[in-house]
Amino acid sequence: MAQHSLEVIVENSPGVLARVAGLFSRRAYNIERLSVGPTSNPETSKMEIVVNLEGHALEQVIAQLDKLINVISIKEIVPNAAKAIVHDTQPDYQN
Amino acid sequence: MSQMNGASSLVASLEAAGVDVMFGIPGGAILPAYDPIFSSSIRHILVRHEQGAGHAATGYAQVTGRVGVCIATSGPGATNLVTPLADAAMDSVPVVAITGQVPSVAIGTDAFQEADIRGITMPFAKHNYLVTDPADIPRAIAEAFHIASTGRPGPVLVDIAKDALQKLTEFNYPNSVSLKGYQPKLSADAQSILDAAALIAASSKPVFYVGGGVIKANASRELLELAQLLGAPVVTTLMARGAFPDSHPLHLGMPGMHGTVAAVTALQKADLLITLGARFDDRVTGKLSSFAVNAKVIHADVDPAEIGKNRFVDVPVLGDLKFTIAALIPALKVALAKNRPDLTPWLRQMNSLKAAYPLGYDTPKDGSLSPQYVIERLGKISGPDTIFASGVGQHQMWASQFISYENPRTWLNSGGLGTMGYAVPAAMGAKVGAPDTTVWAIDGDGCFQMTNQELTTCALNNIPIKVAIINNESLGMVRQWQTLFYEGRYSNTSLESKRIPNFPMLAEAMGCVGLSCDRPEDVDATIEKAMSINNQPVVVDFRVNRDAMVWPMVAAGTSNDEIMIARETAPDWDSQEL
Repeated sequence: MAQHSLEVIVENSPGVLARVAGLFSRRAYNIERLSVGPTSNPETSKMEIVVNLEGHALEQVIAQLDKLINVISIKEIVPNAAKAIVHDTQPDYQN
Repeated sequence: MSQMNGASSLVASLEAAGVDVMFGIPGGAILPAYDPIFSSSIRHILVRHEQGAGHAATGYAQVTGRVGVCIATSGPGATNLVTPLADAAMDSVPVVAITGQVPSVAIGTDAFQEADIRGITMPFAKHNYLVTDPADIPRAIAEAFHIASTGRPGPVLVDIAKDALQKLTEFNYPNSVSLKGYQPKLSADAQSILDAAALIAASSKPVFYVGGGVIKANASRELLELAQLLGAPVVTTLMARGAFPDSHPLHLGMPGMHGTVAAVTALQKADLLITLGARFDDRVTGKLSSFAVNAKVIHADVDPAEIGKNRFVDVPVLGDLKFTIAALIPALKVALAKNRPDLTPWLRQMNSLKAAYPLGYDTPKDGSLSPQYVIERLGKISGPDTIFASGVGQHQMWASQFISYENPRTWLNSGGLGTMGYAVPAAMGAKVGAPDTTVWAIDGDGCFQMTNQELTTCALNNIPIKVAIINNESLGMVRQWQTLFYEGRYSNTSLESKRIPNFPMLAEAMGCVGLSCDRPEDVDATIEKAMSINNQPVVVDFRVNRDAMVWPMVAAGTSNDEIMIARETAPDWDSQEL
């Protein structure tokens, strides 16, 4: 599975890292690598999040991240290979 | 701009946000706020448990379309709000919760009544705040109301440190709110509307799969026009009951685990799902890989993360449903003028199923009271203007099945989280929001014993709700699963509530009128008696047969194709032309 790197611009406010990390935990996705640093704007920070996801799961992570109020923008840093379009979906389960 | 303390700034902010009522309980950390509340124009209703405050705020919001407000102190006051806030998140209800927090210097020290409620609510709240500077209070409140009520509505919590409530500040309520990371989309892209219209005009077996989003967006009128324009069948999910009139000939009923055969089969056999404000919940889709396998999907929703979450989508339409449907109507007229598919065979099939498999129930042979009959009579006698709030379980399913909902915002229940105990406090909030409307809580004996203390609140505050306890002396839905899937081993589902407690006496003790009924011939007179009492809450203990089961049923994890209309009884598919 290809690794995908997300560049996430967030508001530089308390609790933002917990919101992002918590979202991955709650939605049962793994973070492979995470770094947080300043941007030229003191009101924002930049997170680089590397995930081992593709297709539906990757789209969901991006969509759910984007819903966090403190997340301003998300850019996917596309690796060399073209992104495969996968029409997968949630697996079946009994609830 | 005047100097005031943070507490006064909070109350002035709530007034500026248009709050007219809030539900809560004071305590140490929030105490400064209760002083200005004492002289505020906002009506504060003192509940008996913070969970009641949260569900009341939800009921109020569901009925009025406005933001519901609840308020509690730090620690246990705040943690008691967790269940109703999680509930509001799952059902997309606009709620703002205000909590007191220990003084800012004490945060992190495990001080008395300290709980990290912002951290606790982070996984499900739409957003939340911890305010330690009184100057931030007006902005936090303005943003909270904006976030809760726009886009996909949801709960927002504002936790305020006690010293921020006590310190002096300037009150300066923002005229507008602008958030870089939050700009919900109102109007869908024109191309997506055209694509949707083209797909609809190319389909011969379309069905409107309508979810609670239609009610949230106040788009029922637009939906009616769209559905009649196309003339395609409509199904309304548990959260959407009332979004489309049950009496309408195009309505096939509710889909899902306890949906009608016609509604479930319409989704399964459709060639197009026109999905409006629904989210492909597991209770609707059954086994996902076998759900509507031949259907293309149009998914219109205001939440981009829902589109494609569970089911691959052919035409995503992102935007507020009121705008989306309003734009779809003229676009569809144009598309249908070019090519109008003949939906007659499809409608004939679905109407044949609707006629062959109406909702029904067996009357108990021992002459005992049938729960479905009680609920059916409640709906008939009380009429379509009544607001019904239910708990969770068998009575909830029967209340969704056997009452005819004609108007949006007349059916309240806990659909997503499935919160037992929702009914009484939600009905209380609903009655506060719609004081001139009859409000019935339809509750189970299990649910009722979780939150009935709010009847005291109702009695003392002139909130005359009516409660029908469907008393089958069991945790009925769990018992049904034990009957069907655990060989009738009834582990811990017998509540013995026909012996203890005495519900009418309990009701009387809380200042309500208590009635009871256990014979079919007394049902109408008992309901009429309850309807005639409007100066006090009324509780009716309907003592019903415990073996009644909810049908139809799609067992968890199985395909919708395996719907059963009774135990080990599938519909007679061979007699249907599908």
